Amino acid sequence: MSVSMLASQLLVGLSRGMIYFIVAAGLTLVFGVLRVINFTHGSFYMLGAFIGYSVAAGIGHGSAGFWLMLVLAPLAVAGISLLVERGFLQFVYRREHLIQVLLTYALVLIAGDLVKFFWGSQYRSLSTPPIFTGSFATGSITVPKYNVFLLLVGPLVALGLWLFLSHTRFGKICRATATDREMVDILGVNSTWIFAAVFALGGWLAGLGGALMAPVVNISLGMDANTIIYAFLIVVVGGLGNIWGALISSLIIGVGEAFGALFMPDWAVVLPYIITGVLLILRPSGLLKSVW
Amino acid sequence: MRTWRFSRGLSFVMILVFLLVLVLSGCGTTGGTSAKSGSSGLTIKVGIIDTYTGPPTAYTQDALDGFKLAVNDIAKEGGPKIEYVTRDDQYKVDQALSWAKELVMNEKVDVLAGTINSAVSLAVSQYAKQNKIPFINWGALSDEITGAKGHRYVFSTPPNTAMIAKTGAIQISQLPYTKFWLAGSDYEYGHLVVSDFWTDLQKLKPGVQKLGETWWKIGEPDFTPYLTAIRAAKPDAVIVGAGAADIIPFMKALKATGLSKQIPVWIPQSIDAGTLRALGNDQPEGVLGTNQYFYYYPDTAANKQFEQEFKQATNREPGFAGLYGYMAGKYLGAAIQKAGSTDREKIVDALEGLTLDTPVGQLTMRKEDHQSLDPLFYGKTPGTGVVANGLVQLSPDKVMPSVEDVMNARAKK
Amino acid sequence: MSMSWLDRSKEKTARVIPFRPILLVSLLGVAALLPPILPAYYLYLLTTVYMTALLATSLNFVLGYGGLLQLHHAVFFGVGAYTVALVLTKTTWPFWLAAVLAPLVAALLAAVIGWFCVRLRGLYFGMLTLALGQLVWAIIYKWRSFTSGDDGIHGIPLPGLVSSPTSVYYINLGVLVVCLLILYAVIKSPFGLTLVAIRDNPVRSQSVGVNIKRHQLAAFVLSGFFAGAAGVLFVLIEQSVSPSLLYWSKSAEILIMDLLGGMAVFLGPSLGAAILVVLSMVVGTYMDYWLLVMGLILLLLVLFLPQGVLGYLQELFGRKTVQGGERDAAN
Repeated sequence: MSVSMLASQLLVGLSRGMIYFIVAAGLTLVFGVLRVINFTHGSFYMLGAFIGYSVAAGIGHGSAGFWLMLVLAPLAVAGISLLVERGFLQFVYRREHLIQVLLTYALVLIAGDLVKFFWGSQYRSLSTPPIFTGSFATGSITVPKYNVFLLLVGPLVALGLWLFLSHTRFGKICRATATDREMVDILGVNSTWIFAAVFALGGWLAGLGGALMAPVVNISLGMDANTIIYAFLIVVVGGLGNIWGALISSLIIGVGEAFGALFMPDWAVVLPYIITGVLLILRPSGLLKSVW
Repeated sequence: MRTWRFSRGLSFVMILVFLLVLVLSGCGTTGGTSAKSGSSGLTIKVGIIDTYTGPPTAYTQDALDGFKLAVNDIAKEGGPKIEYVTRDDQYKVDQALSWAKELVMNEKVDVLAGTINSAVSLAVSQYAKQNKIPFINWGALSDEITGAKGHRYVFSTPPNTAMIAKTGAIQISQLPYTKFWLAGSDYEYGHLVVSDFWTDLQKLKPGVQKLGETWWKIGEPDFTPYLTAIRAAKPDAVIVGAGAADIIPFMKALKATGLSKQIPVWIPQSIDAGTLRALGNDQPEGVLGTNQYFYYYPDTAANKQFEQEFKQATNREPGFAGLYGYMAGKYLGAAIQKAGSTDREKIVDALEGLTLDTPVGQLTMRKEDHQSLDPLFYGKTPGTGVVANGLVQLSPDKVMPSVEDVMNARAKK
Repeated sequence: MSMSWLDRSKEKTARVIPFRPILLVSLLGVAALLPPILPAYYLYLLTTVYMTALLATSLNFVLGYGGLLQLHHAVFFGVGAYTVALVLTKTTWPFWLAAVLAPLVAALLAAVIGWFCVRLRGLYFGMLTLALGQLVWAIIYKWRSFTSGDDGIHGIPLPGLVSSPTSVYYINLGVLVVCLLILYAVIKSPFGLTLVAIRDNPVRSQSVGVNIKRHQLAAFVLSGFFAGAAGVLFVLIEQSVSPSLLYWSKSAEILIMDLLGGMAVFLGPSLGAAILVVLSMVVGTYMDYWLLVMGLILLLLVLFLPQGVLGYLQELFGRKTVQGGERDAAN
């Protein structure tokens, strides 16, 4: 087991963690501000992939299609999530968590069948854009170019979120709402549209995650269920509502799985649950301080 | 004020959604019957249990369309009238068993069919055995269905994992590899295909060596870490039992990491036209593989006709699932005609050893274990396009487990 | 966080409608007389309803009365079922021993999982039950040599006495009635009342000297026990087990049943179970897009009937003026 081997595995694990992070970031953001456990987040991810597929396939699988998809699919999903928030979610903010969970779960069922209706049940597959095919290889380190791309996009998203939350007025209101909603209301800020905007931003992130994954995964029904459980574990382990906590736990699970592939290659099914179970037992309220 | 806004917004959305449901339920029709009744006057009712939600639908829909095609063909030729109803098991065994009971007790079906999920297939098979109802498996590939857990009432049209694995073992044993890494999707099909392959290869080529195993979860989003780890072990070849949900992203990862250029990889169904079409530009060249069916090979009139009929009905080329759904219908129709009756026991008797003209030639339902004797193929991925390189056809007697082996396995259980 | 559906339960469970016991006993009488006249399929459906009702009620014990966000209850159900299946296929032990062992194994597992979970609160509690439950699922899924992996175990041999549909029906009915009576008695006992008090006001409960964690753990174990018992009933009905019994989506189904029937009413989950079982079989028969229909029903329920069907009926006939969740905001 050479050092370069471990290094390449570390890189691959980090890029995997970034995928988890982009999806989990939206979930934890929504949770932090709206206090809603949003199961529909996985469906938004799936929608991002399907819409991305339609955009890219419509243009013809090339580079242009890829970049356009990265722009359009998240926006479309953000629009859909805005509808969901206005149409359904706004009515249950003051209810118990369980009611909210069930509402979003109902939307998961509906979204699954709607995707089946619009896109059919066949597998969809998108080619990686020409600039990202193949891999970078130096010595015994081999990392696919697309993983490197993800490795760059992840921190960019994190940086963007950080700038947004701590350096814009809107972001500051978001954080204030997360800490004390009533005070924000008293100060005369209309928290209704803050909620709607944050939910749409969460949807945008899920859609971005779906669009980014579209070229490497099978775009299929059921990809929502796989994603949402992981995203939830990451969000809770990181500390509910804490974006940096989600970043750290995403990376821990991503790198953990990558090294798991090396040292216990036939236990991949069990590994993420062991990691989260152990982390939750060691730090029962999440890695970083929960905003909740 | 608040209540007013609440009810208005909500009812608006609700009405929209309900309209949508109406549209949807209008489009989706469940079940159906053959176009016209056959002249033989015999009518039979088939209860179909399969997964019609989620990822497996890509295959189950194909199989159902194939079956419908066969039902219509039989009616056109004046054969028995085959009625059918479908039930969605959502890939869950308990749901499937509920449906089996509903179909038998309530719908009073005479024959059960379907199931892509091996676990569902085995469970329904047990129910069929206890209640003496013929069950035709057209989707699941586990060799236990007609092997160790076979019985009088279960029949299988697709080739099983034992046959697929044997085909691969024959293909690989001719190549100069000795050190192997085994990998796959961590579920029944993946494990069966790989372990059967390994047993067969050890028999064909003593002295082969296993370096290690990798098993990932179904629906794995990123295969790179596994491939990097396998590359580090430096095997001569990698044997992969990738499930239907994993094969396309896995092969994309092969291309992206360049692994298949350095180390030969064997994957069943990697040379399937459906797989290659989905891969598009991301198709790795030279991946070894087996397959059960090609719509373009062998290039016979019967095969061409099947392809055209299927395409006409569905606007798609048939995949292997379509063929086995079609064959299930054909076997059933022929058995009823041969028996001259829709009596369950007589249908079972008629199916045993039944020989049939199919798109892939004359096939027989083996009398002893109720496994259809299907041909298998091996070859390589071409790199571009959907037509596989260096195709070789193996006749069923080369790859089927012997009757003796099957009977021994059944006695052991 | 406070779980406000529980606030309502205090009032509800305390209400005594005089004709209710009579109604329940006559319902039971009808149920006992049904087997000879009911077609086989409806008998099977009803048997499944009884089994599912026990499962849903056992969850409601921790969720509704204990106020614990148990998100992965199906684990104990599945482990109970697997215990019976494994004992009957791998050993020569008699059926009754397996049937007794299964709830105990489920309770033991609940003790282990609960021991970790009761240290956490609210959603963290829920997520840890989910993570540990999925771990149990993954072990059963992975341990192919012992549990047959995702193939499951089918055609589990049962003694002749308990394998005819009619006897399975009566066993399910009997076990359901006995278990519900026990659970009801526990809820009305000092232990049950303390549990409800902890749910409603943990701080005050602690200050009067209640050991919160121990009470919650005990409730968790008890609900695991009854879920395990439901697992035994499942094997009786289907003679088959598979890992999907303890996948998280099964737990979501049970949660929906509880909500559907009403968590503040003792028999609410039973009604919810009955509705969902019948609905999934009826709707599933006619619709290609039946998940969509299920989703819509759930949506309507959550938005308009958050107290559940039975909760709503009780409000209707009890002429309660308090209406659903809108007004009793959390905290």
